[in-house]
Amino acid sequence: MSDLAPPLKLAVGDRVVYPNQGVCRVTSVEAKEVAGQRLVFVTLRREEDGAVVMVPEAKVQAIGVRKVAGPEEAAQVVAFLRSDSDHATLDWKARSRSNVERMSQGGVLGLAEVVKELAVLSELRPLPTKERELYDSARHLLVTELAAALNAPPCDAEDTFDLVLFPPGRERPKRTVEEFARPRDESDLDAIGDDLLDLDADIEIAPEEAAGDAEPAAAPEEDGAPAPAAKPKAKAKPAAAKAKPAPKKSKPKPAQKAKPAAKPAKGKAAPKAKKQSPKGGKKR
Amino acid sequence: MIRVVTLDPHEPAAVQKLCRLLYQAFGVGCDMAGDMSVPAGMTAPFDAEALAMAAPIPKLYADDRVLYLTSRPLKDRALISGTAPTHGFAQYGGQRALITTAGVKDLEASLKLVGRHAMHQLGHCWDLHHCLDPRCAMYPPWTPSFGANDAIFDTFCREKSEQKIRLAKS
Repeated sequence: MSDLAPPLKLAVGDRVVYPNQGVCRVTSVEAKEVAGQRLVFVTLRREEDGAVVMVPEAKVQAIGVRKVAGPEEAAQVVAFLRSDSDHATLDWKARSRSNVERMSQGGVLGLAEVVKELAVLSELRPLPTKERELYDSARHLLVTELAAALNAPPCDAEDTFDLVLFPPGRERPKRTVEEFARPRDESDLDAIGDDLLDLDADIEIAPEEAAGDAEPAAAPEEDGAPAPAAKPKAKAKPAAAKAKPAPKKSKPKPAQKAKPAAKPAKGKAAPKAKKQSPKGGKKR
Repeated sequence: MIRVVTLDPHEPAAVQKLCRLLYQAFGVGCDMAGDMSVPAGMTAPFDAEALAMAAPIPKLYADDRVLYLTSRPLKDRALISGTAPTHGFAQYGGQRALITTAGVKDLEASLKLVGRHAMHQLGHCWDLHHCLDPRCAMYPPWTPSFGANDAIFDTFCREKSEQKIRLAKS
Protein backbone atom coordinates (compact mmCIF):
# COMPACT_ATOMS: atom_id res chain seq x y z
CA MET A 1 0.00 0.00 0.00
CA SER A 2 2.68 2.45 1.04
CA ASP A 3 4.82 1.62 -2.04
CA LEU A 4 2.07 2.65 -4.45
CA ALA A 5 0.78 5.70 -2.60
CA PRO A 6 2.20 9.09 -3.59
CA PRO A 7 4.83 10.36 -1.14
CA LEU A 8 3.42 12.43 1.71
CA LYS A 9 4.90 15.92 1.76
CA LEU A 10 4.51 17.62 5.09
CA ALA A 11 4.88 21.30 5.88
CA VAL A 12 4.82 23.21 9.14
CA GLY A 13 1.22 23.68 10.34
CA ASP A 14 -0.20 20.57 8.59
CA ARG A 15 -2.58 18.40 10.59
CA VAL A 16 -1.84 14.72 10.39
CA VAL A 17 -2.89 11.52 12.13
CA TYR A 18 -0.23 9.40 13.77
CA PRO A 19 -1.56 5.81 13.98
CA ASN A 20 -2.78 4.88 17.46
CA GLN A 21 -1.82 8.33 18.77
CA GLY A 22 -4.32 10.72 17.29
CA VAL A 23 -4.33 14.08 15.58
CA CYS A 24 -0.97 15.86 15.54
CA ARG A 25 0.28 19.13 14.08
CA VAL A 26 3.59 19.44 12.26
CA THR A 27 5.65 21.96 14.22
CA SER A 28 8.94 21.77 12.34
CA VAL A 29 10.78 20.04 9.53
CA GLU A 30 14.54 20.26 10.04
CA ALA A 31 17.75 18.43 9.22
CA LYS A 32 19.74 16.90 12.07
CA GLU A 33 22.89 14.85 12.30
CA VAL A 34 22.38 11.56 14.11
CA ALA A 35 25.19 8.98 14.42
CA GLY A 36 27.09 10.56 11.54
CA GLN A 37 24.06 10.58 9.26
CA ARG A 38 22.27 13.70 8.15
CA LEU A 39 18.53 13.11 8.37
CA VAL A 40 15.50 15.30 7.92
CA PHE A 41 13.16 15.03 10.91
CA VAL A 42 9.50 15.98 11.04
CA THR A 43 8.42 17.08 14.51
CA LEU A 44 4.82 16.30 15.38
CA ARG A 45 2.97 17.66 18.41
CA ARG A 46 -0.10 15.78 19.54
CA GLU A 47 -2.99 18.24 19.81
CA GLU A 48 -4.62 16.47 22.72
CA ASP A 49 -1.82 16.80 25.25
CA GLY A 50 1.13 18.38 23.48
CA ALA A 51 3.29 15.25 23.40
CA VAL A 52 6.11 15.61 20.85
CA VAL A 53 7.48 12.96 18.50
CA MET A 54 10.22 13.32 15.89
CA VAL A 55 9.99 11.09 12.82
CA PRO A 56 12.61 10.79 10.03
CA GLU A 57 10.98 12.16 6.89
CA ALA A 58 11.81 8.99 4.96
CA LYS A 59 9.85 6.88 7.44
CA VAL A 60 6.76 9.05 7.74
CA GLN A 61 4.77 7.01 5.27
CA ALA A 62 6.05 3.64 6.41
CA ILE A 63 4.88 4.42 9.95
CA GLY A 64 1.42 5.15 8.61
CA VAL A 65 1.23 8.90 9.21
CA ARG A 66 -1.53 10.36 7.03
CA LYS A 67 -3.40 13.59 6.48
CA VAL A 68 -6.50 14.19 8.63
CA ALA A 69 -9.74 12.96 7.03
CA GLY A 70 -12.05 15.46 5.36
CA PRO A 71 -15.83 15.92 5.47
CA GLU A 72 -16.29 13.43 2.58
CA GLU A 73 -14.53 10.70 4.54
CA ALA A 74 -16.62 11.58 7.60
CA ALA A 75 -19.73 11.07 5.47
CA GLN A 76 -18.31 7.72 4.32
CA VAL A 77 -17.85 6.69 7.96
CA VAL A 78 -21.48 7.50 8.72
CA ALA A 79 -22.59 5.59 5.60
CA PHE A 80 -20.51 2.60 6.65
CA LEU A 81 -21.90 2.62 10.19
CA ARG A 82 -25.40 2.88 8.82
CA SER A 83 -24.91 -0.03 6.40
CA ASP A 84 -26.02 -3.50 7.48
CA SER A 85 -22.48 -4.89 7.58
CA ASP A 86 -22.91 -5.94 11.17
CA HIS A 87 -20.94 -9.15 11.05
CA ALA A 88 -18.28 -9.80 13.67
CA THR A 89 -15.93 -12.74 13.69
CA LEU A 90 -16.02 -14.93 16.78
CA ASP A 91 -12.45 -16.12 16.32
CA TRP A 92 -10.68 -13.86 18.80
CA LYS A 93 -7.25 -14.35 17.19
CA ALA A 94 -8.44 -13.34 13.75
CA ARG A 95 -10.39 -10.47 15.26
CA SER A 96 -7.44 -9.23 17.26
CA ARG A 97 -5.11 -9.42 14.25
CA SER A 98 -7.48 -7.58 11.95
CA ASN A 99 -8.28 -4.94 14.58
CA VAL A 100 -4.62 -4.16 15.19
CA GLU A 101 -4.13 -3.80 11.44
CA ARG A 102 -7.19 -1.59 11.06
CA MET A 103 -6.08 0.64 13.91
CA SER A 104 -2.65 1.26 12.41
CA GLN A 105 -3.28 1.10 8.65
CA GLY A 106 -7.01 1.41 8.11
CA GLY A 107 -7.46 5.16 8.30
CA VAL A 108 -10.60 6.71 9.73
CA LEU A 109 -12.73 3.98 8.14
CA GLY A 110 -10.60 1.35 9.86
CA LEU A 111 -11.31 2.98 13.22
CA ALA A 112 -15.02 2.97 12.42
CA GLU A 113 -14.80 -0.73 11.52
CA VAL A 114 -13.20 -1.55 14.88
CA VAL A 115 -15.80 0.47 16.79
CA LYS A 116 -18.70 -1.09 14.88
CA GLU A 117 -17.44 -4.66 15.09
CA LEU A 118 -16.84 -4.47 18.84
CA ALA A 119 -20.14 -2.68 19.44
CA VAL A 120 -21.93 -5.45 17.52
CA LEU A 121 -20.02 -8.10 19.45
CA SER A 122 -21.02 -6.48 22.74
CA GLU A 123 -24.64 -7.15 21.80
CA LEU A 124 -23.81 -10.84 22.15
CA ARG A 125 -21.78 -10.68 25.38
CA PRO A 126 -19.78 -8.13 27.40
CA LEU A 127 -16.40 -7.41 25.87
CA PRO A 128 -13.30 -8.80 27.58
CA THR A 129 -11.00 -6.24 29.20
CA LYS A 130 -8.46 -6.06 26.37
CA GLU A 131 -11.10 -5.53 23.74
CA ARG A 132 -12.89 -3.05 25.93
CA GLU A 133 -9.67 -1.05 26.08
CA LEU A 134 -9.26 -1.36 22.33
CA TYR A 135 -12.85 -0.20 21.85
CA ASP A 136 -12.30 2.84 24.08
CA SER A 137 -9.07 3.66 22.31
CA ALA A 138 -10.61 3.32 18.83
CA ARG A 139 -13.59 5.41 19.91
CA HIS A 140 -11.34 8.13 21.29
CA LEU A 141 -9.27 8.26 18.08
CA LEU A 142 -12.42 8.30 15.95
CA VAL A 143 -13.93 11.14 17.98
CA THR A 144 -10.81 13.29 17.72
CA GLU A 145 -10.39 12.66 14.00
CA LEU A 146 -14.05 13.25 13.16
CA ALA A 147 -13.99 16.44 15.22
CA ALA A 148 -11.01 17.60 13.16
CA ALA A 149 -12.62 16.45 9.89
CA LEU A 150 -15.95 18.17 10.54
CA ASN A 151 -14.43 21.13 12.35
CA ALA A 152 -16.93 20.49 15.14
CA PRO A 153 -16.60 20.07 18.91
CA PRO A 154 -15.80 16.48 19.99
CA CYS A 155 -19.23 16.33 21.66
CA ASP A 156 -20.91 16.65 18.25
CA ALA A 157 -18.40 14.32 16.61
CA GLU A 158 -19.16 11.54 19.08
CA ASP A 159 -22.91 12.06 18.80
CA THR A 160 -22.60 11.96 15.00
CA PHE A 161 -21.66 8.30 14.94
CA ASP A 162 -23.47 7.29 18.14
CA LEU A 163 -26.76 8.41 16.61
CA VAL A 164 -26.23 5.56 14.15
CA LEU A 165 -24.86 3.00 16.61
CA PHE A 166 -27.48 3.81 19.28
CA PRO A 167 -30.56 5.00 17.37
CA PRO A 168 -32.79 7.32 19.46
CA GLY A 169 -35.76 5.71 21.14
CA ARG A 170 -34.56 2.17 20.44
CA GLU A 171 -32.68 -0.32 22.60
CA ARG A 172 -29.77 -2.24 21.12
CA PRO A 173 -30.79 -5.74 20.03
CA LYS A 174 -29.68 -8.89 21.84
CA ARG A 175 -27.84 -11.24 19.52
CA THR A 176 -27.32 -14.97 19.50
CA VAL A 177 -24.24 -17.03 18.69
CA GLU A 178 -25.98 -18.45 15.61
CA GLU A 179 -26.06 -15.02 14.00
CA PHE A 180 -22.28 -14.82 14.24
CA ALA A 181 -21.43 -18.45 13.58
CA ARG A 182 -22.45 -18.56 9.93
CA PRO A 183 -20.25 -16.90 7.36
CA ARG A 184 -21.92 -13.87 5.87
CA ASP A 185 -21.65 -15.00 2.23
CA GLU A 186 -23.28 -18.33 2.94
CA SER A 187 -26.25 -16.81 4.73
CA ASP A 188 -26.70 -14.26 1.96
CA LEU A 189 -26.85 -16.99 -0.67
CA ASP A 190 -29.36 -18.94 1.39
CA ALA A 191 -31.49 -15.86 1.79
CA ILE A 192 -31.53 -15.29 -1.97
CA GLY A 193 -32.52 -18.89 -2.66
CA ASP A 194 -31.80 -21.12 -5.62
CA ASP A 195 -34.74 -19.89 -7.64
CA LEU A 196 -33.56 -16.31 -7.60
CA LEU A 197 -30.03 -17.34 -8.47
CA ASP A 198 -31.62 -19.00 -11.49
CA LEU A 199 -29.21 -21.88 -11.46
CA ASP A 200 -31.58 -24.36 -13.06
CA ALA A 201 -32.72 -22.15 -15.88
CA ASP A 202 -29.50 -20.91 -17.43
CA ILE A 203 -27.32 -23.96 -17.62
CA GLU A 204 -28.47 -26.81 -19.71
CA ILE A 205 -26.21 -29.81 -19.72
CA ALA A 206 -26.48 -32.80 -22.00
CA PRO A 207 -27.24 -36.05 -20.14
CA GLU A 208 -23.93 -37.60 -21.30
CA GLU A 209 -21.90 -34.72 -19.89
CA ALA A 210 -23.86 -34.76 -16.66
CA ALA A 211 -23.23 -38.43 -16.10
CA GLY A 212 -19.47 -38.06 -16.48
CA ASP A 213 -19.37 -34.89 -14.44
CA ALA A 214 -18.61 -36.31 -11.01
CA GLU A 215 -15.20 -37.72 -11.91
CA PRO A 216 -13.51 -34.68 -13.45
CA ALA A 217 -14.86 -32.51 -10.61
CA ALA A 218 -12.26 -33.97 -8.25
CA ALA A 219 -9.32 -33.35 -10.58
CA PRO A 220 -8.56 -29.72 -9.73
CA GLU A 221 -8.54 -30.48 -6.00
CA GLU A 222 -5.91 -33.14 -6.41
CA ASP A 223 -3.68 -30.56 -7.99
CA GLY A 224 -3.99 -28.46 -4.88
CA ALA A 225 -6.17 -25.71 -6.35
CA PRO A 226 -9.60 -25.49 -4.67
CA ALA A 227 -12.52 -25.98 -7.04
CA PRO A 228 -14.88 -23.02 -7.33
CA ALA A 229 -17.91 -23.50 -5.09
CA ALA A 230 -20.60 -22.33 -7.50
CA LYS A 231 -19.70 -24.61 -10.40
CA PRO A 232 -20.39 -28.00 -8.84
CA LYS A 233 -23.67 -26.70 -7.43
CA ALA A 234 -24.76 -25.36 -10.77
CA LYS A 235 -23.86 -28.47 -12.64
CA ALA A 236 -25.13 -30.86 -10.02
CA LYS A 237 -28.69 -29.61 -9.96
CA PRO A 238 -29.80 -30.66 -13.39
CA ALA A 239 -27.82 -33.89 -13.15
CA ALA A 240 -29.96 -34.99 -10.19
CA ALA A 241 -28.71 -36.21 -6.79
CA LYS A 242 -25.89 -38.38 -8.15
CA ALA A 243 -23.43 -35.57 -8.73
CA LYS A 244 -24.09 -33.73 -5.46
CA PRO A 245 -22.00 -35.82 -3.08
CA ALA A 246 -18.98 -35.64 -5.40
CA PRO A 247 -17.34 -32.56 -3.81
CA LYS A 248 -17.96 -33.94 -0.29
CA LYS A 249 -16.32 -37.27 -1.09
CA SER A 250 -13.35 -35.69 -2.73
CA LYS A 251 -12.54 -33.46 0.30
CA PRO A 252 -11.10 -36.10 2.64
CA LYS A 253 -8.85 -37.44 -0.12
CA PRO A 254 -6.05 -34.89 0.13
CA ALA A 255 -6.13 -35.07 3.94
CA GLN A 256 -5.73 -38.83 3.92
CA LYS A 257 -2.85 -38.57 1.52
CA ALA A 258 -1.11 -35.87 3.53
CA LYS A 259 -1.25 -37.66 6.88
CA PRO A 260 1.11 -40.56 6.18
CA ALA A 261 3.68 -38.14 4.77
CA ALA A 262 3.53 -35.93 7.86
CA LYS A 263 3.55 -38.65 10.52
CA PRO A 264 7.05 -40.07 10.21
CA ALA A 265 8.66 -36.67 9.82
CA LYS A 266 6.87 -34.83 12.66
CA GLY A 267 5.41 -37.14 15.19
CA LYS A 268 4.31 -34.39 17.56
CA ALA A 269 2.59 -32.27 14.96
CA ALA A 270 -0.59 -34.32 14.84
CA PRO A 271 -1.46 -34.29 18.59
CA LYS A 272 -0.75 -30.57 18.73
CA ALA A 273 -3.21 -29.84 15.99
CA LYS A 274 -5.81 -31.95 17.77
CA LYS A 275 -5.41 -29.95 20.96
CA GLN A 276 -5.79 -26.64 19.23
CA SER A 277 -9.14 -27.34 17.67
CA PRO A 278 -11.17 -27.82 20.87
CA LYS A 279 -9.53 -24.71 22.34
CA GLY A 280 -10.77 -22.61 19.48
CA GLY A 281 -14.18 -24.17 19.86
CA LYS A 282 -14.40 -23.30 23.54
CA LYS A 283 -13.53 -19.68 23.07
CA ARG A 284 -16.17 -19.36 20.48
CA MET B 1 -13.87 20.39 42.51
CA ILE B 2 -17.21 20.69 40.74
CA ARG B 3 -18.91 24.10 40.89
CA VAL B 4 -22.63 24.18 40.09
CA VAL B 5 -23.97 27.42 38.63
CA THR B 6 -27.69 27.98 38.05
CA LEU B 7 -28.66 30.11 35.05
CA ASP B 8 -32.35 30.12 36.02
CA PRO B 9 -34.00 30.05 39.46
CA HIS B 10 -33.86 26.55 40.98
CA GLU B 11 -34.83 25.35 44.42
CA PRO B 12 -31.65 25.55 46.56
CA ALA B 13 -32.46 22.37 48.48
CA ALA B 14 -32.72 20.37 45.26
CA VAL B 15 -29.46 21.81 43.95
CA GLN B 16 -27.79 20.90 47.25
CA LYS B 17 -28.99 17.34 46.82
CA LEU B 18 -27.64 17.31 43.27
CA CYS B 19 -24.27 18.50 44.60
CA ARG B 20 -24.25 15.66 47.13
CA LEU B 21 -25.06 13.16 44.42
CA LEU B 22 -22.21 14.44 42.23
CA TYR B 23 -19.82 14.34 45.17
CA GLN B 24 -20.70 10.69 45.73
CA ALA B 25 -20.37 9.83 42.05
CA PHE B 26 -17.04 11.50 41.31
CA GLY B 27 -15.41 11.46 44.71
CA VAL B 28 -14.41 15.10 44.38
CA GLY B 29 -15.87 18.09 46.18
CA CYS B 30 -18.99 19.71 44.73
CA ASP B 31 -20.63 22.94 45.79
CA MET B 32 -23.03 25.55 44.56
CA ALA B 33 -21.22 28.54 43.08
CA GLY B 34 -24.32 30.72 42.90
CA ASP B 35 -26.87 32.07 40.45
CA MET B 36 -25.84 33.79 37.25
CA SER B 37 -27.83 35.08 34.32
CA VAL B 38 -27.95 33.96 30.73
CA PRO B 39 -25.82 36.22 28.48
CA ALA B 40 -27.78 39.01 26.85
CA GLY B 41 -29.21 38.36 23.39
CA MET B 42 -29.72 34.62 23.90
CA THR B 43 -33.22 33.26 23.69
CA ALA B 44 -34.66 29.81 24.36
CA PRO B 45 -34.33 27.25 22.96
CA PHE B 46 -30.62 27.80 23.42
CA ASP B 47 -27.77 26.58 21.31
CA ALA B 48 -26.13 24.42 23.98
CA GLU B 49 -22.55 24.97 22.87
CA ALA B 50 -22.95 28.74 22.48
CA LEU B 51 -24.58 29.06 25.90
CA ALA B 52 -21.99 26.94 27.69
CA MET B 53 -19.12 28.85 26.14
CA ALA B 54 -20.65 32.31 26.65
CA ALA B 55 -22.01 31.84 30.17
CA PRO B 56 -20.24 33.81 32.90
CA ILE B 57 -17.63 31.71 34.65
CA PRO B 58 -17.17 31.69 38.43
CA LYS B 59 -13.75 31.73 40.06
CA LEU B 60 -12.11 28.39 39.22
CA TYR B 61 -8.85 26.59 39.79
CA ALA B 62 -7.19 24.83 36.88
CA ASP B 63 -8.62 21.40 37.70
CA ASP B 64 -12.12 22.62 38.64
CA ARG B 65 -15.17 21.91 36.49
CA VAL B 66 -18.26 24.07 36.24
CA LEU B 67 -21.76 22.70 35.64
CA TYR B 68 -24.41 25.12 34.40
CA LEU B 69 -28.06 24.37 35.11
CA THR B 70 -30.82 25.89 33.04
CA SER B 71 -34.53 25.19 33.17
CA ARG B 72 -35.11 26.35 29.60
CA PRO B 73 -34.90 23.95 26.64
CA LEU B 74 -31.89 23.43 24.39
CA LYS B 75 -31.99 23.32 20.62
CA ASP B 76 -31.57 19.90 18.96
CA ARG B 77 -28.41 19.68 16.88
CA ALA B 78 -28.41 18.95 13.16
CA LEU B 79 -25.52 16.55 12.51
CA ILE B 80 -24.55 14.78 9.29
CA SER B 81 -26.08 11.56 10.62
CA GLY B 82 -29.37 13.12 11.76
CA THR B 83 -30.83 15.33 14.45
CA ALA B 84 -29.38 14.74 17.88
CA PRO B 85 -31.66 15.26 20.90
CA THR B 86 -29.78 17.68 23.14
CA HIS B 87 -29.91 17.31 26.91
CA GLY B 88 -26.68 19.14 27.56
CA PHE B 89 -23.21 19.99 26.36
CA ALA B 90 -19.70 19.34 27.57
CA GLN B 91 -16.31 20.62 26.62
CA TYR B 92 -14.30 17.40 26.22
CA GLY B 93 -11.30 17.56 28.50
CA GLY B 94 -12.35 21.10 29.35
CA GLN B 95 -13.98 22.88 32.26
CA ARG B 96 -17.54 23.66 31.15
CA ALA B 97 -20.62 21.48 31.10
CA LEU B 98 -24.28 22.38 30.76
CA ILE B 99 -27.53 20.52 31.35
CA THR B 100 -31.16 21.48 31.07
CA THR B 101 -33.95 20.60 33.46
CA ALA B 102 -36.63 21.45 30.88
CA GLY B 103 -39.32 18.79 30.94
CA VAL B 104 -38.70 18.09 34.62
CA LYS B 105 -41.59 19.35 36.72
CA ASP B 106 -40.19 18.62 40.15
CA LEU B 107 -36.41 18.68 40.37
CA GLU B 108 -36.30 16.84 43.68
CA ALA B 109 -38.56 14.07 42.43
CA SER B 110 -36.54 13.62 39.24
CA LEU B 111 -33.19 14.12 40.88
CA LYS B 112 -31.81 10.78 39.70
CA LEU B 113 -32.46 11.52 36.07
CA VAL B 114 -31.08 15.05 36.31
CA GLY B 115 -28.11 13.71 38.25
CA ARG B 116 -27.48 11.14 35.55
CA HIS B 117 -27.42 13.83 32.87
CA ALA B 118 -25.09 15.93 35.04
CA MET B 119 -22.76 12.96 35.56
CA HIS B 120 -22.80 12.23 31.85
CA GLN B 121 -21.77 15.72 30.84
CA LEU B 122 -19.20 16.08 33.63
CA GLY B 123 -17.81 12.68 32.62
CA HIS B 124 -17.09 14.13 29.18
CA CYS B 125 -15.19 16.95 30.89
CA TRP B 126 -12.94 14.23 32.32
CA ASP B 127 -12.48 12.72 28.86
CA LEU B 128 -14.88 9.81 29.30
CA HIS B 129 -16.63 8.66 26.13
CA HIS B 130 -19.97 6.95 25.64
CA CYS B 131 -20.26 3.48 27.09
CA LEU B 132 -21.72 0.17 25.89
CA ASP B 133 -23.23 -0.66 29.28
CA PRO B 134 -26.85 0.58 29.61
CA ARG B 135 -26.46 0.84 33.40
CA CYS B 136 -23.57 3.30 33.09
CA ALA B 137 -24.17 7.04 33.24
CA MET B 138 -22.04 7.39 30.09
CA TYR B 139 -24.56 5.46 28.00
CA PRO B 140 -25.95 7.74 25.24
CA PRO B 141 -28.60 9.94 26.89
CA TRP B 142 -31.19 9.67 24.10
CA THR B 143 -31.68 5.92 24.62
CA PRO B 144 -34.78 4.64 26.49
CA SER B 145 -32.76 2.91 29.22
CA PHE B 146 -30.99 6.15 30.14
CA GLY B 147 -34.27 7.59 31.33
CA ALA B 148 -35.34 4.45 33.18
CA ASN B 149 -35.16 6.48 36.32
CA ASP B 150 -35.78 4.34 39.36
CA ALA B 151 -34.35 1.07 38.21
CA ILE B 152 -30.85 2.38 37.65
CA PHE B 153 -28.51 3.94 40.16
CA ASP B 154 -26.55 7.04 39.34
CA THR B 155 -23.26 5.37 38.76
CA PHE B 156 -20.60 4.48 36.21
CA CYS B 157 -19.74 1.01 35.00
CA ARG B 158 -16.57 -0.58 36.39
CA GLU B 159 -14.29 0.48 33.55
CA LYS B 160 -15.54 4.04 33.52
CA SER B 161 -15.25 4.20 37.32
CA GLU B 162 -11.60 3.22 37.12
CA GLN B 163 -10.95 5.79 34.40
CA LYS B 164 -12.94 8.42 36.23
CA ILE B 165 -11.12 7.91 39.51
CA ARG B 166 -7.77 8.05 37.74
CA LEU B 167 -8.66 11.18 35.81
CA ALA B 168 -10.60 13.07 38.47
CA LYS B 169 -8.04 12.51 41.19
CA SER B 170 -4.94 13.15 39.09
